[in-house]
Amino acid sequence: MTMARMRFQIYRYNPETDTKPYMQDFVLDDVQPGMMLRDALLRLKEQDETLTFRHSCGEGVCGSDAMNINGTNGLACITPLAGLREPVEIRPVPQLPVIRDLVVDMSQFYHHYRSVKPYLIVHDPEPEVEFRQSPQEREKLDGLYECILCGCCTTFCPSFWWNPEKFRGPAALLQACRFLVDSRDQATAERLEDLEGPYRLFRCHTIMNCVNVCPKGLNPTAAINTIKRLMVKDMI
Amino acid sequence: MTFRAQGMRAWLLQRFSAAYLALFVLAAVLWLATGGSADYSGWRALLGRPVVSVAFALFFLSLFFHAWVGIRDVLMDYVPNLKLRLLLLVAVALLLMGLAVWSALILISVYLS
Repeated sequence: MTMARMRFQIYRYNPETDTKPYMQDFVLDDVQPGMMLRDALLRLKEQDETLTFRHSCGEGVCGSDAMNINGTNGLACITPLAGLREPVEIRPVPQLPVIRDLVVDMSQFYHHYRSVKPYLIVHDPEPEVEFRQSPQEREKLDGLYECILCGCCTTFCPSFWWNPEKFRGPAALLQACRFLVDSRDQATAERLEDLEGPYRLFRCHTIMNCVNVCPKGLNPTAAINTIKRLMVKDMI
Repeated sequence: MTFRAQGMRAWLLQRFSAAYLALFVLAAVLWLATGGSADYSGWRALLGRPVVSVAFALFFLSLFFHAWVGIRDVLMDYVPNLKLRLLLLVAVALLLMGLAVWSALILISVYLS
C-alpha cells in the first residue's frame, strides 16, 4: 500500500565540533501509512541520537517544528510522508542562524514580532467591565489571530532574506494588521507611523511565498495590503 | 503620517505612475494602429497641440518616477553595500534627471521654432 522504506537527507551542523554543515543520509524502514514527517524524524533520532530538532505538540498548533522540507518551508508534524519526493531533503528554515542541525536562533524573528507591539494599546481609562466587541468587529480578526509564530513565512520571504534587519517580515506584519483592525485598539496612528519608511513594511513586493507556505493557511500578503490601505486612509 | 513618508509616497507614486503609463501606452498603440503620424511634420503638428504635449510630458514624468522607484527597490534589495548602493542610486537619479531634462527640451522645442 505504501512504501515500506524511505530515504532521507538531513542537514547536520554542530558549530562546536563541525567546521561546516553537511548532509547525512538516513533510511527509515517500516514506514506506516498516515505517518507524518515528525514521526519519521523521531524514529530517525532513535537511529542517531545526536539528530537535533524542535517539536512539541505534534499537531500543528505550537509551531515548533518549522523546517525546510524538499525546498519548501513547512511544519514537520502536519506534513505527511506520503507524497514527499525521495530522498526527502530536510534543512533548517533559511536565513536564521543555525544553533544545531534543524534548530535555528529565532531572535531576529521575535525582535520583529516585538517591534510591532503585538498587544492592545488603549489610551482611554480602562473600562470597569470587559472590552465589548460586536460579532462583526470580532470577525475582522479572523485569518489574523490564528498565527502560531512558527516562522515558516518570514524565513521563506526573499524580502526578509535581503533585508533581515530592517524588513519586519510577513509574520510580524500579519500581527501588526491584527492589532490595527482590532476595534478595541487605540494606537492606529502610532502603529501606522511606525511602519512607515522604505523598509519595515514596504520591502514587501507581494512575492507571496508567505501565503504559499503558511501551515495555517493564512494570508500575510492580504494583511500587508490592508495596512497599506489603512495608511492611505490615514493620509487623506 | 509625517512627511517622512518615503515608503508610502514611493508606493503611491509607483501605483499612480503605473496606471498613467498603462493608459498612455494603450492610447498610443491605438492611435498608431489607426494611422498615427507617418512623418516628421505630422509628429510636430501633433506635439504642437498643448493637450498632447502635456500628455507626453506626464508620460515621461511617470516613466522616470516609475523607473526611479523600481530601480531604487532593486538596489535596496540586491546591493547590501551601502556605499556602492548610494553611488548607484545617485548615478540612476542623475541619469533619470538628465533624461527628464532632455525630454522636456524636446517637447518645448516644438513651440520655440
